[in-house]
Amino acid sequence: MNSINVGLADILLISPMISLFLFSLIPLSIKVLRGNKEQNPAASIIEILIGLGLTAVLLIIFSGQSGSGSPTAFNGQLIFDGLTLWMGLVAILIGACAMVMMYENPSTRGPQFSELIFLAMNSLLGALILISAINLITVFIGLELMSLALYLMIAMSHEQKISKEAGIKYFVLGSFASAIFLYGVSFIYGSTGSVSTLDLMKTAEGLLKGGNHLFLFGFAFVIMGFCFKVSIAPFHAWTPDVYQGAPTPVTSFMATAIKTASFAAFLRIIASRGLVGSENLFLILQWFAVITMTVGNVAALIQNNFKRTLAYSSIAHSGYVLIGVIASGISSNSAFGAAGVVFYLLTYSLMTMGAFAVLSMIEKNENDFVQTDDLAGFAKQKPLLAICLTVFLLSLAGLPPALGFFGKLYLFSAAVNEGLLWLALWGVINSVLGAYYYLRPIVVMYMKEGTCDTAVENNYGTLFMVVISAALIIILGIWSGPLFSIIEKSLG
Amino acid sequence: MILSLLIFLPIFFALTVVVWPQKTTVRHLALGFSLIELLVSVLLLQRFDSGTAALQMIEKSVWIERFGISYFLGIDGISLMLVMLTTFLTPIIILASWKSIDEKIKGFHCALFILQTAMLGSFLAMDAILFYIFWELSLIPMYFIVGIWGGTRRIYATIKFFIYTMAGSLLMLLAIIFMMNLTPEVTGGAMSASLLDFYKLHIPFIAGEFFSPQTLLFFAFALAFAIKVPMFPLHTWLPDAHVEAPTPGSVVLAGVMLKMGTYGFLRWVIPMFPEATEHYGWVFIAAGVVGIVYGALVAMVQPDVKKLVAYSSVSHMGYIIVGIFTMNAYGLNGALYQMLNHGISTGALFILIGMVYERTHSREISKYGGLASALPIFSIAFVIVTMSSIAVPLTNGFIGEFLILLGAYQYSPAVAIISVSGVVLGATYMLWMVKRVFFGPKGELVLESEKDSHHTLVDLSTREVFVLVPLVIMIFWMGIFPNHFMDYSKTSIDYFIKNKNNYSFPASSQQAKLEEK
Repeated sequence: MNSINVGLADILLISPMISLFLFSLIPLSIKVLRGNKEQNPAASIIEILIGLGLTAVLLIIFSGQSGSGSPTAFNGQLIFDGLTLWMGLVAILIGACAMVMMYENPSTRGPQFSELIFLAMNSLLGALILISAINLITVFIGLELMSLALYLMIAMSHEQKISKEAGIKYFVLGSFASAIFLYGVSFIYGSTGSVSTLDLMKTAEGLLKGGNHLFLFGFAFVIMGFCFKVSIAPFHAWTPDVYQGAPTPVTSFMATAIKTASFAAFLRIIASRGLVGSENLFLILQWFAVITMTVGNVAALIQNNFKRTLAYSSIAHSGYVLIGVIASGISSNSAFGAAGVVFYLLTYSLMTMGAFAVLSMIEKNENDFVQTDDLAGFAKQKPLLAICLTVFLLSLAGLPPALGFFGKLYLFSAAVNEGLLWLALWGVINSVLGAYYYLRPIVVMYMKEGTCDTAVENNYGTLFMVVISAALIIILGIWSGPLFSIIEKSLG
Repeated sequence: MILSLLIFLPIFFALTVVVWPQKTTVRHLALGFSLIELLVSVLLLQRFDSGTAALQMIEKSVWIERFGISYFLGIDGISLMLVMLTTFLTPIIILASWKSIDEKIKGFHCALFILQTAMLGSFLAMDAILFYIFWELSLIPMYFIVGIWGGTRRIYATIKFFIYTMAGSLLMLLAIIFMMNLTPEVTGGAMSASLLDFYKLHIPFIAGEFFSPQTLLFFAFALAFAIKVPMFPLHTWLPDAHVEAPTPGSVVLAGVMLKMGTYGFLRWVIPMFPEATEHYGWVFIAAGVVGIVYGALVAMVQPDVKKLVAYSSVSHMGYIIVGIFTMNAYGLNGALYQMLNHGISTGALFILIGMVYERTHSREISKYGGLASALPIFSIAFVIVTMSSIAVPLTNGFIGEFLILLGAYQYSPAVAIISVSGVVLGATYMLWMVKRVFFGPKGELVLESEKDSHHTLVDLSTREVFVLVPLVIMIFWMGIFPNHFMDYSKTSIDYFIKNKNNYSFPASSQQAKLEEK
């Protein structure tokens, strides 16, 4: 073992995380100093947004390719490469949007707002660690920090019993998945003597090809742990209940920032080319992708609750992303597939966040579960928001020229490139199913009479976010080519 | 530049209409805009060189370099005709919807202009992804037009329309992605989605084996287009969509959108997969023939005028499919001509039905009767359009159907004989409908209106006459001087047939220049 030796370079590299943590303390400390009296939430959110902005800037400055490969910190615990940069930026950006929603949604802007925002920031910190970790133990630390904060955030809603239930459900199942993950790590350590992902990249293919069962066991368990976190069927059962039970801003945070971070770590494990080594694992993951897409879309077809529809849609999209993950895992040019995944996660986060944000503005209080039919007449009351929601839904359905179409195009293109034509075919068939339930809210909003309106008039923060995301979906759709190339180059 | 101008002017119009402050003048504004668009397309017609089959007015610039997707537009004789049809029908549609669309006027015109962009774009795009984007974009405004301004079962109809078309086109997307992945063979390294590179691909064809690349790709593309046409037995979305759509929606749908499907066969499927076309062409001829007879028979028993015309569309589109897949000069010229005819005459029929619906609020044939005495001018117009629809000589329909039948006879006399029965049946159901609606004893609706002084039937207003005059002029002009129109497309079609086994556009100086770049 090398001696632990921490230099200035390491500190600088992790400065985004340090800044994130320090800023997370500010609202909480002020509350304590004022004798447990909540400060104005507006002040809290401004402090937090400054912190997130600073974190993003630091991340841009210190990560990415330098002269000799990507910089790593703390003896190869964290890596700051293109993947960290992009996924980190997505997580921070989307996390910021979610926190603005938390500020403006009545169910989360309660007397415990500082605590909530503290947890959200720390969850995001865990996400950043997870994204950049290249050591399985560090991955676990990131995963747990992210999840533990999240369990509390879900259960923090005051009156809702269902949110407590969701919190417990997520906690029990999530702990179980973490345990499986850790169990897998122990097998990997036992058979290779290392828990570094970088070492895994060198050894995994050979070990699996050589029929090392212990290693296969460990590798499969690690993958299963991630499948749970990103809600891949058959490990998806918690998703709809938890997503529905959690306050909408928290749900949107979970469905986008957290999922992005988990997929980043998943991608790093798969990039070890273990799938090339094990034919069975490769086949099983392909089936997982197919089942996930189908389960998500078919179940979403019969939902009446708008939030549950979005939850199942998020499962279906995990299936699409998994296609890209598999493609990049078996590709000799893994940057292409990985860029497809990163691009898709970016688009998915934007549109899902937008859809949840509109939903969050419609909810009257924390007991209000918006049914799809309740959206009737929304287009008349709030034409701008209705157009934005339409853009999000059409983009989720993958219709051009919205960003979602290009995401799917690149993802399926990577799959076809690797000879995974049948996965792409399933993706395409599922997109048709998806179109049906994404159209339903549009039908209700525009073609039925009703009085659906936002709960309060002055949700300017959320409104601003929604409009910007909708505009981005259209504009980035047209400029998607250069963006994809930039991502691919930085991953290369 | 003129092609980009043509495609993107309507987007600009759509945005202007939405922000236009005065509600009362929105229609005038939209009409003016659509006339400007028509003017631009006439300029295009002026500059078009009908002596060559090469792509003209090419615009090509790199769009998504990584995947070889380019912004690539071009026009030849085949697309020119359909572009003209689109720009010609739009002002008529706007004028025809003057009274019938009276809520959310801005939204309606916005959707109509976006739809125009999408349709023109899909006729002019020479890059597969660009084409696909316009193709899918056309669904969204149509979805809203049917869903917001449609009839009582509009939501069912619009979702059915959307899902059907999307299901077909997504398989096409997969086929496009697959072909893009093969293009490095012909471009020497980089991926490309350009139609010209797709033409060069020559995917191997294995006769007798269905699961071979060319055959599967052929059917993936053909399915998308066959649903759009719609070809029997994929036609079931059409009657629903037509009946529930508002008049302007039906006109766009029948007039232009169905042609996107037949155009797709001409531009994409047949040149890219010549062997598969030859081998499996009979499937489409058979489906076309069945569609002709089936559409006509079903039309005959419809109690609803609009549904009758919708099913007649199925029958007419069957002719076009037969004409295309005969793959000879008569058939193809006839098919292209029939595309224009069908756009004009069926469009006109839907407009006329819309006009009478505005007056009586009913489309049931049995409630009409004796309308000719109450609405003389309207009846004259209707009869003229009917004549065109059933292909009476001197009207445009005659030329198209006659050429298609000639082509079909060359292909196989049996096909021609069965198709001819469609002409007879067509005459039967249309004339029978005309008889029941306009002549005979006065029906329920006419008697009611005579009793009730508030709801008297008023004959066509000046505006409505202006809507119909251009259509009637076109019916006779195209029927008497077909060469005025066919001259534009003749070179392209001749070249198309001569090179059907190894198609690519003839080189033009403009193309050479672009390629050098």
